[in-house]
Amino acid sequence: MRSELRSFVLAKARGARPPQELTDQTPLLADGWLRSVHLPELLLLMERLRGTPIDVENLKAGDFRDIDTLMDRFGHAPAQHTAPAQHTAP
Amino acid sequence: MTALAQALVQLGEFSQRLSRVSARTYQNPYTALDWPDTLNAEAGWFTSEELLSLHGTGYWDELAEPERRRLSLLEAANFYSLNIHGEKSLMSGLAARLYRPDLLDFTSYLHHFLDEENKHSVYFGGFCTRYAKVYRSRQVPVAGDDRPRDVEDFLFFAKAMAFEEIVDYYNQLQARDARLHPVARFINDNHHREETRHLVFGRALVSALWQAADWDTATRADLGDQLTEFLLASWREYYNPDVYADLGLADPWGAAEAAWASQAQRRHRRLASARCLSFLISLGVLPKEVTDAV
Repeated sequence: MRSELRSFVLAKARGARPPQELTDQTPLLADGWLRSVHLPELLLLMERLRGTPIDVENLKAGDFRDIDTLMDRFGHAPAQHTAPAQHTAP
Repeated sequence: MTALAQALVQLGEFSQRLSRVSARTYQNPYTALDWPDTLNAEAGWFTSEELLSLHGTGYWDELAEPERRRLSLLEAANFYSLNIHGEKSLMSGLAARLYRPDLLDFTSYLHHFLDEENKHSVYFGGFCTRYAKVYRSRQVPVAGDDRPRDVEDFLFFAKAMAFEEIVDYYNQLQARDARLHPVARFINDNHHREETRHLVFGRALVSALWQAADWDTATRADLGDQLTEFLLASWREYYNPDVYADLGLADPWGAAEAAWASQAQRRHRRLASARCLSFLISLGVLPKEVTDAV
């Protein structure tokens, strides 16, 4: 997940900054790598990678501080998930 | 005088006329519609087939007719949920501008605007809570950027206009679609009728704000980027994995990605966005190549 997050951030920064400046501790919102408008897509990406929904009710800006925080906060799925599965991809 | 106030002075008589129409067509959302106790999700259509997010994808071919109809109910709830979340932000921004000293002359129309948005949410919420649910939004409220007020005003009204323009594409088509359940047709038709005023006002205001501002090239380019990103983020929410999970798809996030990337859905988004993009491009807010991004 870490490398996917890094790719996502770099794609959203669109070459405005040298990629080597992005570390796992780089402030993503505060330093302008991401904007709040990017967060829904970031949440979708993390949900897809971990295979479970993320509870969005109590999220705050600090949860998106840097890649390390994202991994700590969202990197691991809760113990159970209940998406009923009937159809597979065509 | 702020750029917004200057722009609104130009719109003074116009907004008064809109206020008169709003007062004349004032509606009680608690009595205007007879809600059935239940809906048979697999017996009717609640979203036009062609507007469903899986239409034209491989997933669509795999669904039996009752499942397609159930998807049409779930996506109606998702569409109305998007509107609820969008209107919450809009109402918050409108309320923040009520009785602002530089906008006092236009408070009357802002009151109508706010009132009508609240009523729309009563309809949307009425449908979702009776027959499905309010789908969550992944829009996370975080502290806003410290922008100048005229920039904030432009972004607020431009985002509202862009969001409502796309919604209105759906509303117009579905209001006329005789296949749809009467409740779904009513909600779409009613929303379209009232949004017509908001859209005309939004276009005039966005145009006036853009032309009145003394922003430099970098600021204007950044505003264009932010609007483009907002449009993309708004469109993403039409492809909701939560809907696909409720439908029973095994990999709802994969389905969302596949539907988003499908040629049929790209064509659909371009068509549905065309009116809004054409306006913003003609104004110089967005570059021509933005149509490829949607």
